[in-house]
Amino acid sequence: MTPAWRPWLYFGPAALIAGGLAVALTATSDHEQHPGQTIALVLFVSSSFILAGLIGWTRRPWNRTGTLMVAVGFGVLIGVLSEANHPIPFTLGALFGSLFIAAFVHLLLAYPSGRLLSRRARVLVGTGYAIAFLAPLAESMFAARETCKPHACPENLVLVSHDHAAHVVATALWTAASVALFAAVVMLLLGRWRETTPGLRRILRSVYLFGGLSIVLLAIGFVVTPFSGVGAVFVSVALIATFTTVPFIFLAGLLGTAIARGAGVGAIFSSVPERASPDEVQEGLRSALRDETAVVAYWYEEDEHYVDVEGNRLDLPEDTRRRVVTRLDYGDQPVAAIVHDAALLQEPELLEGVANAARIALERDKLLVEVRARAQRYRALLQAMPDLMFRISRDGRYISYNAPSERDLVNDEVIGKLLWDRLPVDLADRVLESGRAALGGDPSVIEYHLDFEDGRRHYEGRFAASGDDEFLMIVREITERKQQQEELEASRQRIVAAGDAARRKLERNLHDGAQQRLVSLSLSLRLAQNQVAKSPARAEELLEASREELMQALEELRELARGIHPAVLTDRGLEAALEALAGRAALPVEIDCVEDVELPPPVEAAAYYLVSEALVNITKYAGASAVKVSIGQVNGYALVEVVDDGVGGADPERGSGLSGLSDRVSSLNGKLVIDSPPGAGTRIRAEIPLE
Amino acid sequence: MTVLIVDDHPSFRASARTLLESEGYQVVGEAENGADAVKAARELRPDLVLLDVQLPDIDGFKVAEQLRRLVDPPAVVLTSSRDRADYGPCINVCGACGFVPKADLSGAAIAALLVA
Repeated sequence: MTPAWRPWLYFGPAALIAGGLAVALTATSDHEQHPGQTIALVLFVSSSFILAGLIGWTRRPWNRTGTLMVAVGFGVLIGVLSEANHPIPFTLGALFGSLFIAAFVHLLLAYPSGRLLSRRARVLVGTGYAIAFLAPLAESMFAARETCKPHACPENLVLVSHDHAAHVVATALWTAASVALFAAVVMLLLGRWRETTPGLRRILRSVYLFGGLSIVLLAIGFVVTPFSGVGAVFVSVALIATFTTVPFIFLAGLLGTAIARGAGVGAIFSSVPERASPDEVQEGLRSALRDETAVVAYWYEEDEHYVDVEGNRLDLPEDTRRRVVTRLDYGDQPVAAIVHDAALLQEPELLEGVANAARIALERDKLLVEVRARAQRYRALLQAMPDLMFRISRDGRYISYNAPSERDLVNDEVIGKLLWDRLPVDLADRVLESGRAALGGDPSVIEYHLDFEDGRRHYEGRFAASGDDEFLMIVREITERKQQQEELEASRQRIVAAGDAARRKLERNLHDGAQQRLVSLSLSLRLAQNQVAKSPARAEELLEASREELMQALEELRELARGIHPAVLTDRGLEAALEALAGRAALPVEIDCVEDVELPPPVEAAAYYLVSEALVNITKYAGASAVKVSIGQVNGYALVEVVDDGVGGADPERGSGLSGLSDRVSSLNGKLVIDSPPGAGTRIRAEIPLE
Repeated sequence: MTVLIVDDHPSFRASARTLLESEGYQVVGEAENGADAVKAARELRPDLVLLDVQLPDIDGFKVAEQLRRLVDPPAVVLTSSRDRADYGPCINVCGACGFVPKADLSGAAIAALLVA
């Protein structure tokens, strides 16, 4: 026997004994006019409440509604004591016979939980019990003379006087107090009805209707009875009718909802499609719970929070009187939660049935929703990325896009368009080919360019699969990089060309200079050889000319060698080489070189040729009177500066000298700045990284 | 034997003239570029043209071809401060009798080419 059945164990026999006593008392009463009717009425009403109460008590042990109903039933039986012929039970019956009305008010106000949740309700119930005891007490103390038939009433032990005036005052006073209490109860019920949630209203409807009606009839009866016998009878019949209905309505309210709907849960869930989406499951739940506002929350393990059916983060609300959360867990592991109308707590079978059915569906949905949540996160991530992005279907249709800068869109219309609608045909073909390759697990990168009104822009497109039948194209503008590449390429080509030209020039110089002199020397020597025997004087003359020729050839070779690479730079460093340059220059040159400057050989050579070439240019074009050369080293950069006080207006585009310098510097990733305002001298400044 | 010397370097022309005359050649003229060379050859009708390969206008090979087309064409000996190997087969196909490096120039070297 489970503990839930214990109420039957105690109150079942108690009710039988009390009922038997009631029957005996009434049947043997000498002051009861209609013993049969009374017995039937009392047994019917009390057993209704006790039976319904015990059923409710065992089915809902935590809900006190059943207990209160049992109390009302026994309260009714207590009143039967007044049928006794002995003064003591008679007086007790008169004094406690009305308590059941207070218990009934208690029951009504405590419904559906069986607990008085508001202070106002507690005050009203307390007042009710007080009135239910004090009113009969006052009336018994100042009782009317002879009210019992056919025989006189047994002795009233609390009688003070039979004074008629006192009796009327006491009755009027307590009737007014009772009616006021009933009115307050009805007001409270009406107020609650207005505030309550739709779910709770469904449960409260019939209980409040019949309970409230009983209270109203009781109040009318209290008022009418002293004046009209016929009215009192009419009201009593109505009261009995409603009052005996009430316990069954309470019971139905307590259990019936679940009984009526329990079968519906499965039906509702079986009507949800096998592969229902999370939204459909939520809809199914809503109709099963008859709560259109119910929300399903799925546990998202990855981030440890709940998400809604769309995959958005959902923080479960605190339980309130109107909304509560039912968590669906497997052991300690959260699976999902349902946020629903608090009224559903009164239908635990329904909630549990639905929850059990839902748990299975939700467990499966959790995966789907997690995917959505992940997708949400990726979408947010994608939107935060500074790249232009397109989602494109396998057949080349734009699904969506993200464009941080509208300027990169060839056309504002994107979604729904085909690749070929927006891009040149060959490019569209390339994009689709790369996209399909990405879908086949072979992500790739393409480079392309588009012509806009303000010029050509270069882009790099990367491809990645973003679904079974769609891929992502991530576009980044690389115009700047492309231009830098092209410039670098051009400057490399110019360096190569300059190198070729320099070698050609060198060959020509060798050929025209030293080589010619050596040829002449060879011929002179041959002539001298021919003349040695015939004319020694002529031979000596020729030998002298040959020596002269040889000296000149040597000088030209030295000059050439210096042009190929200055020996002093290799042997004695940049400063000495610059001093040597300055010494050979046609105008005064001041050298300002930071002490202990140590530059890598390519940087030293670049600095040397920069200064050398600049000096040649200055001598040729600037008309300067003095030049200052500075060499420094700052933040990992070598700084070379040549400043003159000449005419300015040097244009790097015009002379090959300056553009050659620029190429030499840029080949070392350096930067050459030429500042040459007309009439204000020229400043050539190179910054060359040392790494 | 009459000779026309064609070279853009005056010092070489002077040395060559001295050298060849000392060995019995008769230098009848000098020219410093290809066009002048062809003109002078047509007028002076030398027996031999000593022709530098590198000339300021057209190169010596082209000059040699033009000389070959003259009526009663002169013998042509190419010369250069570069080595014969620098020019590959051009010397054989242009109609010249041969090539003498400038440094080896002598009446005997030319005579050897003419006999061959």
